[in-house]
Amino acid sequence: MGKEQGFYQVFEVFSRRTPEAPLQHQFSLLAPNEELALVMAQENFMRREPVADLWVVKRDYIRRINEEEKVALKRLDNKDYRLTRGYGDLKKRWRKYEQNVFDEKEILSWKGEIRR
Amino acid sequence: MSEKSMYFHPDGQEALVELLFQLADDDFLLAYRGSEWLGLAPHIEEDIAFSSINQDTMGHAAMYYQLLEEFGLGTADELAHARPATERRNAVLLELPNGPGHYLREPRYDWAFTVVRQYFYTQAKHIRLESLRKSAYKPLAEVAAKVQVELHYHLLHWHTWFVQLTNAPGEARTRMIKAIQDVAADFAGVLTLGARGAEMERWGLIEGEDVLTEKTIAALAPAFAEVGLEWPMPFGMKHGNGRNGEHTPDLDDALATLSEVYRSVPQAIW
Amino acid sequence: MMGTIMTFTRLSEDEKHELFMRRIEAGEKIEADDWMPDEYRMTLIKLVAMHAVSEIMGALPEKEWVPKAPTLRRKLGIMAKVQDEMGHGQLLIRVAEDLMAPLGKTREDIIQDLLNERLKFHNVFHMPAPTWADAGLIGWLVDGAAIMTQTNMLDASYGPYARALKRICAEEVFHAQHGESIILALAEGTKEQKDMLQEALNRWWEALLMFFGPPTAETTGTSKQDITIKYRIRTKTNEQLRQDYFTKYVPRIWALGLKLPDETMHFDKTQGKWIYRQPDWEKFKEIIRNNGPKSQERLELRRIAHKQNAWVREALSAVRTVG
Repeated sequence: MGKEQGFYQVFEVFSRRTPEAPLQHQFSLLAPNEELALVMAQENFMRREPVADLWVVKRDYIRRINEEEKVALKRLDNKDYRLTRGYGDLKKRWRKYEQNVFDEKEILSWKGEIRR
Repeated sequence: MSEKSMYFHPDGQEALVELLFQLADDDFLLAYRGSEWLGLAPHIEEDIAFSSINQDTMGHAAMYYQLLEEFGLGTADELAHARPATERRNAVLLELPNGPGHYLREPRYDWAFTVVRQYFYTQAKHIRLESLRKSAYKPLAEVAAKVQVELHYHLLHWHTWFVQLTNAPGEARTRMIKAIQDVAADFAGVLTLGARGAEMERWGLIEGEDVLTEKTIAALAPAFAEVGLEWPMPFGMKHGNGRNGEHTPDLDDALATLSEVYRSVPQAIW
Repeated sequence: MMGTIMTFTRLSEDEKHELFMRRIEAGEKIEADDWMPDEYRMTLIKLVAMHAVSEIMGALPEKEWVPKAPTLRRKLGIMAKVQDEMGHGQLLIRVAEDLMAPLGKTREDIIQDLLNERLKFHNVFHMPAPTWADAGLIGWLVDGAAIMTQTNMLDASYGPYARALKRICAEEVFHAQHGESIILALAEGTKEQKDMLQEALNRWWEALLMFFGPPTAETTGTSKQDITIKYRIRTKTNEQLRQDYFTKYVPRIWALGLKLPDETMHFDKTQGKWIYRQPDWEKFKEIIRNNGPKSQERLELRRIAHKQNAWVREALSAVRTVG
């Protein structure tokens, strides 16, 4: 371990493309501290795309899941009680009352103008 | 831009053209010096970030050269590549080499000098642009607003390096102090508007040299407080006044290199 | 503790190896902290570190032309391209660093290995680039060759490498277009420009052939291609890649009216392959040993710069900044 060791610390870089977008992991870089890491981040990984927000995090501060633990990420696909596909019968049922079903497309359209 | 909007009173045109050449040549030469650092920076990630700054800056130069095209003096490429040293209007500080050696042989470049030069210049550029945004020549005001957009990053970048290196213990601080003295020795050449400065001010193209100098000093002062250094007054023009066409052999070398291919096949399309 | 409910660590080395091979054959990705056979790790370290330093050294032939580029737009374009080479070097060296971390090696070690000539870089980057046409040709045909080898590894079993390559290949599209733009201007230009271009091609052709590596181990004594194919890092052999390169690029070269310095080059329909003259593979070995025309000069640039700037790294190692 030479005296230059502190210069090369690993920082993970995250950024948001637009204010509405989720924060996304980009890549990692080496820097002596978080200020320089921040100042180098955008030009290293996002030169050709918009950046609305930027984080750098020292890798040491991240608790990552390891190879063996990854098995604990698995789930069964038997939970349609919490998915829209588990309620596919609604379309037919509402038709009895001459009503349309409020599916995802319909509900998200409420964001805009609703004609009376 | 319509022909009408590019118009400026003929009596003020010489002063305007002088100013535009100063702005263009300043950014062009500094970007040129910066581009010699490619692959040689202290740190790979910084090499990459620095290159973006140089591209931005050369892009700024290109914008000013394009404004100059309106005055029938040549195309932007001709203005950038073909004018001899005596016609160049950049501050001499910006043509000085990055250090001893050549970018292809024995480049013993000085990062301290580069950081200080870039930081001081960027600060002065920022103040100059603030003034230019109110320029009587509207196309220039518009370009200044655009250039400002990229300058925020340049300031953040160089300010960070300046403070961290000057506050670092031992050799770094000594080197940075020397670099500050070297830059200060020619920094008046950046702040001056040259022989036609008063004329530029009269035509409302830019504020006066004294005002700009005062504001630049005020802008640099906080950084000096951060690093616990006394103000390095006064600024000098040790190597001459580039605004008046006084330059060094280093500029001759730089121009020979940057125009080498351009001149090799005249009138060619590249 | 998580470890107690896992059984992986209780497997024998052979069993772990078998599980590992099954994972990659199923198309799964191996990550930096996953268990991997020593051979896999060492093969990747060699490959990725060499790739990393090749990008970093690869910036140097073109760097010569950055200050000299003939127009503002070309100066900007080539600055951006060389920046990308450094950027690719950064991505790859990070991948190599994470692979080497368990061995206690760091970036400084990798740089020292390059400067002390323990780590080799691709033959093309040892070659001179004496004219502007060389700068254009590099963007067109050298990057073209790199695109061939890099796209071949986009599905690499090692996740971090595959992800780095994805970023790299996206930028290579700009490189190819930048190179083509310069070349087309020369091909359509004055006699001097056309001659400059033909001479550059004559200079580079052999190096381009050698870029893909020897066809078999017999040619130069070693070949890593079998191991890298076994571990699903790449799929095609050196010769397949070279043949694909000819298919994509020889027609275009000829279309511009350029001649190859190999009059035997032709596509044989019966054999379904390009017939061509082998480059001098002995020369390849010499070049790889850092005895190429520009090897020492370019390494020296890096050595000087690294030493000159040591004070910067030392200064900031000691500092503990606030915030």
